[in-house]
Amino acid sequence: MTITFTPSHPIWCAGCGHFGVKNAIVNALATINQPAHETMVLAGIGCSGTIQNNIDSYGYHALHGRVLPTALGVKLANPELMVIAAGGDGDGYAIGAGHLMHTFKRNPSIVYVLMNNGVYGLTKGQRSPTAQQIDPTTERNIDGISLGLSIPGASFLARAYSGAADQLNAVMVAALEHAAAGRGFAFVEVMSPCVTYNDTYAEWSGKVHDVTTADGYDPSDRIAAFSSVYTLAEQGKIPTGLIYQSDAPAYESAWKKPGLAGPARLDVSPAGNRTHYADIMEKYAF
Amino acid sequence: MTIPAKIDDLTIMVAGQGGDGSLTVMNVLSELFGRRGYHLYKSRNVASRIKGGIAAAQMRASIVSRGCTGDQIDLVVAFDQEAVTNVGPDLPPDAVVVFDSSDKPLDRSTLADTIRVIEIPFGRYAVRDLRRDLFKNSMSFGVISQLMNVDQDEAEDCLRQTLRRLPERVLLPNIDSFVDGRKFAMDDAIAAGGYPWHLERVTREKHLMINGNDAVAFGFMAAGGRFFAGYPITPATEIMEWLQKHLPAKGGVAMQAEDELAAVNIALGAAMTGVRTMTATSSPGFSLMAEGIGHAGSAEIPLVIANSQRAGPSTGMPTKPEQSDIDMMIHGGNGEYPRVVLAPGNPGDGFIIGAAATNLAQRIQGPVIIALDQAVAQDARSVTPFDLEAVEPDDAARLTEEDLAAMETYRRYELNPSGVSPWAVPGTKGGMNLVTGNERNEWGLVTTVPAKRREMMDKRAAKIEHVRADLPRGVTGGDPAARIGIVGCGMQSGVIAETAERLNAAGTAVRYLQIRTLWPVLEETADFIRGCDHVYVVEQNSEGQLMHLLNGHGAFGNLRSLKKYDGVPFRCADLVQHIINGEAKAVQGDAA
Repeated sequence: MTITFTPSHPIWCAGCGHFGVKNAIVNALATINQPAHETMVLAGIGCSGTIQNNIDSYGYHALHGRVLPTALGVKLANPELMVIAAGGDGDGYAIGAGHLMHTFKRNPSIVYVLMNNGVYGLTKGQRSPTAQQIDPTTERNIDGISLGLSIPGASFLARAYSGAADQLNAVMVAALEHAAAGRGFAFVEVMSPCVTYNDTYAEWSGKVHDVTTADGYDPSDRIAAFSSVYTLAEQGKIPTGLIYQSDAPAYESAWKKPGLAGPARLDVSPAGNRTHYADIMEKYAF
Repeated sequence: MTIPAKIDDLTIMVAGQGGDGSLTVMNVLSELFGRRGYHLYKSRNVASRIKGGIAAAQMRASIVSRGCTGDQIDLVVAFDQEAVTNVGPDLPPDAVVVFDSSDKPLDRSTLADTIRVIEIPFGRYAVRDLRRDLFKNSMSFGVISQLMNVDQDEAEDCLRQTLRRLPERVLLPNIDSFVDGRKFAMDDAIAAGGYPWHLERVTREKHLMINGNDAVAFGFMAAGGRFFAGYPITPATEIMEWLQKHLPAKGGVAMQAEDELAAVNIALGAAMTGVRTMTATSSPGFSLMAEGIGHAGSAEIPLVIANSQRAGPSTGMPTKPEQSDIDMMIHGGNGEYPRVVLAPGNPGDGFIIGAAATNLAQRIQGPVIIALDQAVAQDARSVTPFDLEAVEPDDAARLTEEDLAAMETYRRYELNPSGVSPWAVPGTKGGMNLVTGNERNEWGLVTTVPAKRREMMDKRAAKIEHVRADLPRGVTGGDPAARIGIVGCGMQSGVIAETAERLNAAGTAVRYLQIRTLWPVLEETADFIRGCDHVYVVEQNSEGQLMHLLNGHGAFGNLRSLKKYDGVPFRCADLVQHIINGEAKAVQGDAA
């Protein structure tokens, strides 16, 4: 057996919500029997951006805010891989926010785990786009689930809380299954407290509310999902659970050519291609 | 009636308002010149908007293959006054102006008296006789073909070939319009002043008519390139469009991202899986991509980046050529990382360098930048067919599952003398690894240990030495014994070659070097400069970036800067004059 990369122990503070996230990803990979070498975990910048060091898979440390485009590139080039992108609220809702709506819109079959703690931990406590303490007269915080609901291509929107392991594990398994089945972009926002700069365990434990416990909740009903998300928010609650799931065409399937592998596994040898190139060249004959 | 001498070098401009379709007459002329065995160099001069504004297409037809437009315009076909007013002062005394006088007669105030003007109300005739203003293209071709003394059958065949996709009911009035044009020319102009030109007829081997953007994209694909992500930007968009047209048929992906940041990062993600990947942009987009390109250098991800440079700074002049990103391409981005910067001098070279860059990126596992400029990128010219047999995808240090099984340990960033670590792409059993832009140890785990940092920086730098011997060599020409040198790259390539030819013919011995590898600076470049008493460095920017680059690699002290930054390429006549003047000054200086 070749000795290669082995997962290291996380660098996070004791009690950090991210431990629960990492455990849920590891558990979900095992639950769906995902081979480690066919998995790639990509993470952004920040405390959450070290999670790839702690999971048995191929790992990549993305540029700040760019984990989604990078993950999209991996998935398009090799659709056989399970691609998991991870990052924080600064990475996903501030510097990389533009990519999030385009990923909802395209709906590639990747999982995106956004660890939301409302603060920049690694740079020691600055406010993030989801901070509760943002000056209320100038800025209000933003909500990724509502954003996803507003974009037609979105196919899987879930929120979990790292203080509630059972729900987090169930949501993560559902997310990986969604992506593995080629159903599109599985977005999981995990409320994941920062014990050092924004310890919200007590507050969030009282606020999280699983929408799916409501009688007859139908996650394929987008309007009902909107309604319950906004109703709960107005009550000061944080809606959690698998809030919305639908069937929208997955982006990578639009590129798939019958009988051909993904770009990473194509035959590019001259023997199989030169006639084709010669035909192209002939169009320029002068 | 006397027949003038056959013409072997003719520059034509067709101008009108952008969007009025007047430029399509160039396509028929290309067909005609192609059949007669001429080489072509075609450029466009358009404002950056969809319709309106002056649009001009220029074409040089020559028996000898040329890499730039002619010094002067011999024939102007103008559909409005503005074009004539603008170019009038620059026309040679024997120029011919064919003017569409539908609206009003030509104001000749900017034209010399010797210039022959043929006024024909194309638009009006076309509307009167054929009910369509658009037929004026065919009518103007009728006029021009008559002026060049091309017989009707041959000219009509060219028109039919160019318009072959039109339905018969549209084609026929075009033919009628063309015949009318020939009649007008014969009755009005030729009867009065004879034929201004008589075309050559020579045979030449089959060529390609292609621009640099298309050629670079083709070279990339031929070397196994199967993934592209980009964002539209003038004058680079044709690369994306070419690949969108051709990659999917072979299972590849060519996608339009939401911005340049996404484009370069999508490309990085794809490249990590092992597919040969490119992105393309133009100057402002390149600065947006700088972080991603540096990441490819640090994290060791093979990526080709084409930069079709335009005039800057900032939004600059999107449709105008410049070579003002040389510093940025070589030194841009934070920190220091190894990269290769290659500059094709024409579309034929673009194919070769597009393919070479694709293989080099795999071999250094890092960024290879193709430095185009608007002129090389968008000007189309006739080039010899590409040598497809010479292109062979090179998989370099790629590991298979079997390779890995035979290894005791696998470290993604293994230190070795070449600096190139064996590479297992995701999906390969037993090759799991961490890829990061943080400084790291051989396993890919973050480190700031000083000794490890030095090792890793040195390892990455070594990769350039590993491929240095295989980097594209420059093109030299002129008098090999000359003491005066000319150096340039990209859009200057055709200009400096022709300038050297003229200077040598006029008794000033010069030689030239067209640099194709800008970075690293090759020893042959330094040798060329050392071998000359002095060297003119010709470039399209205001700060002399190429000259400073070369000086930084030898403190030569014998470089003379010839710069232009007005959006208009150097003309050979100007360079010849600059160099003759420069030499005269040097002689005076020596005497003093």
